[in-house]
Amino acid sequence: MISKLKYLTKISLKRKINTKWFVIANAIFAVIIIGLLNMDSIISFFGGDFDQTQIVYVQDNTNRTYDILTIQNDTYKNLTDEDNAFKLKKTEKSSEEIFKDKKNKDAWYLSIDNDSENYIKATLTSEGYINTSSYAGISTIINDTKTVIAMEDSNISPEELSKISSPIDLERKILDEDKKTEDENVQMIMSTVFPILILPFFALTMFLVQMVGAEINDEKTTRGMEIIISNVPPKIHLFSKVIASNLFVFLEAALLVIYAIIGFVIRMLIGANIQTGDFDISSILDMILKSDVASNLTYIIPLTIILMILTFIAYAILAGILASMTTNTEDFQQMQMPIVIISLIGYYLAMMAGLFDGSIFIKVLSFVPFISAILAPSLLILGQIGIFEIVIAIVLLIITIWLLIKFGMRIYKVGILNYSSKDLWKKMFKALKG
Amino acid sequence: MLKVDNITKYYGDFLAVDHLSFEVKSGEIFGLLGVNGAGKTTTFRMIVGLLKPSSGTVTLDGHSIDYSITDKIGFLTEERSLLTKMTVKEQCVYYGILKGMKEKEVSRELDRLLTKFKIQNYKDKKIKELSKGNQQKIQFITAIINNPKLLILDEPFSGLDPFNVEMFKNEIKELAEKGSIIIFSTHRMEHVELFCKKLVVLKNGQTVLSGNLKDIKQKYRKKNIEVVGDIDENKIKQIDGVISVNLNNLTYQIKIADESVANKVFEVVSNGKNITKFSVEEPSLNEIFIETVGETYDK
Repeated sequence: MISKLKYLTKISLKRKINTKWFVIANAIFAVIIIGLLNMDSIISFFGGDFDQTQIVYVQDNTNRTYDILTIQNDTYKNLTDEDNAFKLKKTEKSSEEIFKDKKNKDAWYLSIDNDSENYIKATLTSEGYINTSSYAGISTIINDTKTVIAMEDSNISPEELSKISSPIDLERKILDEDKKTEDENVQMIMSTVFPILILPFFALTMFLVQMVGAEINDEKTTRGMEIIISNVPPKIHLFSKVIASNLFVFLEAALLVIYAIIGFVIRMLIGANIQTGDFDISSILDMILKSDVASNLTYIIPLTIILMILTFIAYAILAGILASMTTNTEDFQQMQMPIVIISLIGYYLAMMAGLFDGSIFIKVLSFVPFISAILAPSLLILGQIGIFEIVIAIVLLIITIWLLIKFGMRIYKVGILNYSSKDLWKKMFKALKG
Repeated sequence: MLKVDNITKYYGDFLAVDHLSFEVKSGEIFGLLGVNGAGKTTTFRMIVGLLKPSSGTVTLDGHSIDYSITDKIGFLTEERSLLTKMTVKEQCVYYGILKGMKEKEVSRELDRLLTKFKIQNYKDKKIKELSKGNQQKIQFITAIINNPKLLILDEPFSGLDPFNVEMFKNEIKELAEKGSIIIFSTHRMEHVELFCKKLVVLKNGQTVLSGNLKDIKQKYRKKNIEVVGDIDENKIKQIDGVISVNLNNLTYQIKIADESVANKVFEVVSNGKNITKFSVEEPSLNEIFIETVGETYDK
């Protein structure tokens, strides 16, 4: 019977891989992943302007602000590591004259005047909208310039001015023992990196459910099921689907990782080191490696993988049981909706995990099978739960799988040979009783 | 030998099959008949091990039907049981391996059968691209590819033209000659008469007729008399025990209540002119079926 299980698994896997949609979908995934990882280079190739210095023409009607403004601009560049932040150019021309020249259509025009109450007042003119971070940047520089002017007018020495201007060394002390290892970068990781990792998990879960269901449904509606089940036990049949779908998901996950590696290799080969607006891949990687999360990856990754594999198995068994109860594809589409909703709840809870710091309700939800695979690791990274809680989630998942096999198999055995939707739930509850 | 011993099957409170028993030896072709919903499919499913009887046993050569012996069984279902997205070869290899065969073995046997059924060109075609008749041939091939010890054929001639029906008949006879136990169900009574020595007729799960076809016909009291010549039809109709008199193609079909009426009919026919035929015939299985089940088979 083991050889039949192997064969059924092989055929099931082959039926998933030997399809046009698999090739097309993977071609699209490869293009998207490699493209996203090299988005900055692609935008540059097509003449993108995010990496270009923002030119700001400055009309200084105060005759002393421009020099201070330039110094503050340099300080801002050093503080933010943004080499290309702003390029200031002094001008005597009016804004109309500047914007007449088509070369200056992306430039800004800053007019500075004396102000009796606020030392200086400034007007910023541009052809189009200015993005929020750039506006914040230029505002910071102008405000700092105003501070310097105010200090100069108050006869504060440059040394004192330097002391006033230098940032305060803010030492961090965390009293909560559990959170001593947590650093502020974790919040950043949760908001940027984690969604990227859990989105494929969510997508793969949906793939898996759809595949198991569609295949069982196909065999059932074509009546091929009667021939198959007359030669192999229902348990072997379901296990072959579970194994094949999980192998498929691992293969797809491995392919996604390979596409990402190719993307990084291409990135290194073309020497891309350009910031893509507010999203800089290199700095995010640096951030992860410098954070305390990196040192905890040795147990976070294995535990997450175990949870994910067990969750995939549980989802596959559940999808198989539900598919066995359906008599056509439309029925299965409806039947899989609860699975999709459960998975979505897990996805959103994991995304918003940081917002519920300390919530016992969220901690309890992280134990719940089917959603624990994405919620529990996110709480672990945030330091809201420990390894012990993850082990509880794993044990609960194993118990769920055991229950699904023990009781779900009773439904499966009856369901796969049932072709009538009449009294369906009555039949299934009866089957469940054994 | 296949032994179905007193099997009963309940679906909840519904009695699908009630104390059914029969035996089929190697080389025999057995007919399992009944109108739709009589319990044939449930019986087939119990024989191949898909369903467990509520009581009673099914054994093949003394062994209960379980997954250790299902490799010896071939099953052709009434509805198409083919995975239509597969090619003919993929489908046959798939079912062949599930019956415990090696892939090479399946390929060799498949080539032989495809040639025999004159569809060797369809080997790499997808099932869904084939005509209904050719799909039925593939389904038949998947049922016999493992040279089954027990072959169950539920409506094997469905969708076939007369030429292919003959081809199937020959193959079924050949399999029986090789020693296979064959159980089959069909709407065509002439096929049952042609193939089956033994049969069972089910009605609402109950056995209403069972045994050797010859014995059944002999035991059946009503007979038919065929007469060719000029006879007094009204006089015959007046004989006590004559059920009906019909004239078809110059032949009178006289239905009588039992064999003893034949003498009275013969006396009247003797007074007729140009009598060239007088024969007492066994009733057809179709007549017996309709009489026993109380409705037409196709209903």
